[in-house]
Amino acid sequence: MASILKLSRTLSKFPKNAASSQTAKALRAASTAVDFQQTLVNVPPTKVTALNSGLRVATEDWGSQTATVGIWIDAGSRYETSKNNGVAHFMEHMAFKGTGKRSQCQLEIEIEDMGAQLNAYTSREQTVYYSKCLAKDVPKAIEILADIVQNAKLGEAEIERERGVILREMQEVESNLQEVVFDHLHSIAYQGTPLANTILGPTANIRSIDSSELRAYLDCHYKPSRMVIAGAGGVNHEELIKLSECHFGKACNTYSGEVPSLAPCRFTGSEIRVRDDSLPLAHVAIAVEGAGWTDPDTLTLMVASTLLGAWDRSQASAKQNATNLARYSAADDLCHSYQSFNTCYKDTGLWGVYFVSDPLKIDDMMFNVQSEFMRLCTSVTEGEVARARSLLAANTLLQLDTSTAVCEDIGRQLLCYGRRIPPHELTHRINSITAQNVRDVCYKYLFDRCPAVAAVGPIENLPDYNRVRSSMYWLRV
Amino acid sequence: MASRLCRNLNNAALKYQNQLWQSQKNYTKRFSEWDSTVNVPSRKKVTDMPPMNEAVSNLPKPIYATLKEEHQKTQVTELSNGIKVASENRFGEFCTVGVIIDSGSRYEVAYPSGISHFLEKLAFNSTVKYPNKDEMMSILEKHGGICDSQGSRDTFIYAASAYSSGLEDVVRLLGEVVLRPQITAEEVDAARQAINFELEMLNMRPEQEILLMDMVHAAAYRDNTLGLPKLCPRDTLHKVNRNILFTYLNRHHTPKRMVLAGVGVEHKRLVDIAQKYFVEKKPIWETDTELVTSNQNVAVDGSVAQYTGGLVQEECDIPQFASAGLPVLSHVMLALEGCSHQDDDFIPMCVLNMMMGGGGSFSAGGPGKGMYTRLYTNVLNRYHWMYNATAYNHAYSDSGLFCIHASAPPTHVREMVEVIVREMVSMAGTISGQELRRAKTQLQSMLLMNLESRPVVFEDIGRQVLATGHRKRPEYFISEIEKVTKDDIVAVARRLLSSQPSVAARGDLRKLPSLQYIQQGLTDSEGKMPGSRKLSIFR
Repeated sequence: MASILKLSRTLSKFPKNAASSQTAKALRAASTAVDFQQTLVNVPPTKVTALNSGLRVATEDWGSQTATVGIWIDAGSRYETSKNNGVAHFMEHMAFKGTGKRSQCQLEIEIEDMGAQLNAYTSREQTVYYSKCLAKDVPKAIEILADIVQNAKLGEAEIERERGVILREMQEVESNLQEVVFDHLHSIAYQGTPLANTILGPTANIRSIDSSELRAYLDCHYKPSRMVIAGAGGVNHEELIKLSECHFGKACNTYSGEVPSLAPCRFTGSEIRVRDDSLPLAHVAIAVEGAGWTDPDTLTLMVASTLLGAWDRSQASAKQNATNLARYSAADDLCHSYQSFNTCYKDTGLWGVYFVSDPLKIDDMMFNVQSEFMRLCTSVTEGEVARARSLLAANTLLQLDTSTAVCEDIGRQLLCYGRRIPPHELTHRINSITAQNVRDVCYKYLFDRCPAVAAVGPIENLPDYNRVRSSMYWLRV
Repeated sequence: MASRLCRNLNNAALKYQNQLWQSQKNYTKRFSEWDSTVNVPSRKKVTDMPPMNEAVSNLPKPIYATLKEEHQKTQVTELSNGIKVASENRFGEFCTVGVIIDSGSRYEVAYPSGISHFLEKLAFNSTVKYPNKDEMMSILEKHGGICDSQGSRDTFIYAASAYSSGLEDVVRLLGEVVLRPQITAEEVDAARQAINFELEMLNMRPEQEILLMDMVHAAAYRDNTLGLPKLCPRDTLHKVNRNILFTYLNRHHTPKRMVLAGVGVEHKRLVDIAQKYFVEKKPIWETDTELVTSNQNVAVDGSVAQYTGGLVQEECDIPQFASAGLPVLSHVMLALEGCSHQDDDFIPMCVLNMMMGGGGSFSAGGPGKGMYTRLYTNVLNRYHWMYNATAYNHAYSDSGLFCIHASAPPTHVREMVEVIVREMVSMAGTISGQELRRAKTQLQSMLLMNLESRPVVFEDIGRQVLATGHRKRPEYFISEIEKVTKDDIVAVARRLLSSQPSVAARGDLRKLPSLQYIQQGLTDSEGKMPGSRKLSIFR
């Protein structure tokens, strides 16, 4: 621990007086100079093993009494076409509806009787099945996970029943305006490419997807080389390898048809307005194209996002603390709430701000948001960045508090980076970000870029797209 | 050795990753045709770091923590002024420290209601040493810290999590925040506004639990202790001022009523630091006696909670604005007098709560959320008009409430109450072995799962030490849960049913049965309410 501090202290001396590339070199030199030193990382290491089939097993063993284990699959709505959009999510639902070995009811009772939890979710690029259980039940949990992922029954009656459930879920999503806005944002920002699709898929597809389509999807995407078995808490690495070999031994990487390829996704600056004056508040999102998962700029964009922050009206005294944007929002009552976001995908990302405001305040809020964008590109200060850096580092590491959060982090990172970034490397990367770097990165991604804008509600006052676009640059030095 | 192992294994993983990159390179090439027409970011490298999927070279070699947490004990030390310091060591780079105080809305009888609500919003504002909140926050941020405050009916918590190396700064900050806040008039105004927004938001949201909880406590303990409102009522919002707040703090936030608890810290060090900032430095209300109204010399309300039972209802529209396709619902919370957390019946009561379980009829989440608990199998799966049925068990130092919350469309309010009353009565009926076994396992695993999280351990230490002076280990509770038998469950169910009901209801309540009918239903051996028709699924 002590050496970490020493290191970051040496680092903090440099940024103030050197240009960015020089600084970075100096940083490198500084870290070489302390190479003989060792960093004490007060967490257990993440062990990763790739099996012969390409399946990767990764664990962080705390030796505790509870554990989370799960399967992370490199598959999601991005791999779908307009014809089968929604099939990834449908499959996630069907996994819990019985397998060749156990009926839905047996599966549910088995999990409940263990005092365990079984859960799943589908995103645009990942499908995840995981279970939280007592450490002694890990073998059982892996057996169940392997069973539901590989041997789902996909019975006709169950599929019919599930259509209703998914349509009902869709209704729920549609009543959440934030989700609606983000779906619209994807639909225009990535228009004409698979990232524009929603995860749930259109109603017509939900009504028509059948077992052959589900099976085709399974054959095409649930391949061991695209899967990660992750575990955290009371999980022994060697034991998890054995379990994975035993339960996923039969899985193979051969494709019966064409090998699926990741379709490219192009970002297009554009806007969508869904005007509905019966709603009380306007919901608006503005985003530019950000960086993909592995891009070294990603962390800097995260810092930039932290510099904008988030705020809502029930937070007292934004006057003193919080970011500029939060202060303006509170002082001038610009919005009810806002949050910055940085959503990453494999080769692209969305970086921006989502806000909910009174219809008459949209223009003012937009002006302040975009002014902040420009300030990030041109004149963000060292002090602010230092603050955002430590906030980001702390928030990232503080989150890793439960076995579920750690397991989630392992699984996601193995799919995104092919490795787990050790905590000391992450801190080092974040601490190397200077104000100049933030300005450079923001200049690259924000300045004079066409943004994507999505708005829902009473949005008559949302500025015209050309005006929004013209606020993405400053004609001054 | 471990790191070498990791490297070898990483190579295998990288091979796969390379294949993936190759395919991605292909399409970036195809894409370049679009570059001329589309506004895309430059390809210039601006961050001098390797991609995230490659390791940064020349980093110091990490030494990871060794496996297996040694069996820890909670150490407790009482300092000269009466404050207790309790801590546990634990691995991880962060520590959580905070102050847990025997203070909350139950002590507000002599004051305008809502003091605790105000204090919750006022926490971590300017103090004597840090007149600027910003300065305080930057200290916390330097150590990667976050802070929070939370008021409940009988406990008030100030807490912060930060890198363990920042312990002293964090405890100094806590000392300032707890004992030496400035509470300027401006801050009180800001807090008032925040509370106002919060109340507005609570009324707007479809979730009703927080409001119902306050109402059901008001019904159960009429005008005394636990029945006093936790949410600041609108009519006292303007009565709370700086003077009243300091007078309350002076009485209730005294060292004897406090525990300084820490997780992931060394006990000796915490005690030394506590001595400096919680014993040697005096509270602002002792150094500046002007702050406290001297003529209001009321002692701390030490009375035992008096359970009365009763009905609190509010006719209103849920949701407040008919939009976005939200269903119109009426909510009822039905409660019986439970027991205190020091009572022998406490553990069986928790098992019973687990056995009732329940939740929302459309809630997300897979198996493991209690799909085979009684409120699911007997209620939600059987009556499709029922939106929600959930059991809660609240335990305090001298009393407790066992409640079931249910919601349904206004047309079904009467049936909903009938169903819930019947379920309550049948708690004292036959219990299957499997059902009890499952409830016990689920309670045990839930306990252990919750304790994975550092802040939960912190709260557990603080609350237990505040109540009893020491902390019982989770192992103790695990074995106590194991001992619970069917007879124990029936006994606590009988105990519950012997009490008067407390009812809270919100929404369109034209079909709500009277309290008297509910009472009669609860004393009937089959849980039948007077005048109730035979319940049928086909209606």
